[in-house]
Amino acid sequence: MDMNEESTQGRKLKCTDTSKCFELLESILDGEIDNSKEILKEKLAKCQPCFAHFHLEQAIRDVLKNKCTKHEVPNELVDSIRKQIQEIK
Amino acid sequence: MSEVQRRKYSQEEKNSIFDGEFMPHIDSMYNFAYRLTFDEDDAKDLVQDTYLKAYRFINSFEQGTNAKAWLFRILKNSFINEYRRKSKQPAKVDYQEVETYYNSDDVDYQSTSDMRADSVKDMLGDEISNALNSLAVDFRTVIILCDLEGFTYEEMSKILDIPIGTVRSRLHRARNLLKEKLQGYAKNMGYNTDEEEE
Repeated sequence: MDMNEESTQGRKLKCTDTSKCFELLESILDGEIDNSKEILKEKLAKCQPCFAHFHLEQAIRDVLKNKCTKHEVPNELVDSIRKQIQEIK
Repeated sequence: MSEVQRRKYSQEEKNSIFDGEFMPHIDSMYNFAYRLTFDEDDAKDLVQDTYLKAYRFINSFEQGTNAKAWLFRILKNSFINEYRRKSKQPAKVDYQEVETYYNSDDVDYQSTSDMRADSVKDMLGDEISNALNSLAVDFRTVIILCDLEGFTYEEMSKILDIPIGTVRSRLHRARNLLKEKLQGYAKNMGYNTDEEEE
């Protein structure tokens, strides 16, 4: 099954300015553009390359945020810092 | 973020800032240090040195401003100046080379990946982590700061001492490199890419 075909749903298959659009989409995903909801809605509804790029970039940010293991802080680190601070006070 | 001493805090104020504004960030600081050094002992030393420096220069911190960004900047500078040389993990790319070659703000935002969102979503934490860790430290750093720690471009610009335009372009390049790594994993997992279907 070609998901690309299935998901086009009236969107144009070629983006007229991928450079400008992708930069904008990435800035939106990074939370750098205010009131971006309407711009985003329009872009994603009309342009297939923008739609695909947005969802790929979003998926990458999500997995980075949610799946990158957090390394637990060793117990002795906080004690060691506090001890050294006491010494220089 | 200025190093200039603004005022002198009393001992009580120093303790309050240290406990209330600096220590709550220790988890993020340790994670950042670990992803820079790949070594538990080096990460502990780096975080400890950062907190000692933060205490020593506490008068140059303005209470109530962004303590996390201030601490991250100290940690990043300590890493570059002291730890990078002795780190057990050799830097994959020479720092100067990266600075000169990759600092251009002129970046092409053409799509460089045929990968699909679905294949990324199914990846395991280890695969994501390994892909991130395999990036050169300057690219790894911007992704950690933006995606793992949620810093804004402006905060990253101050932490890294680079213009916002450079933050944006370096992030874009870093994510493209990450996509290339992830695409390799996706193919190994048996996911089809558009490229293969054509």
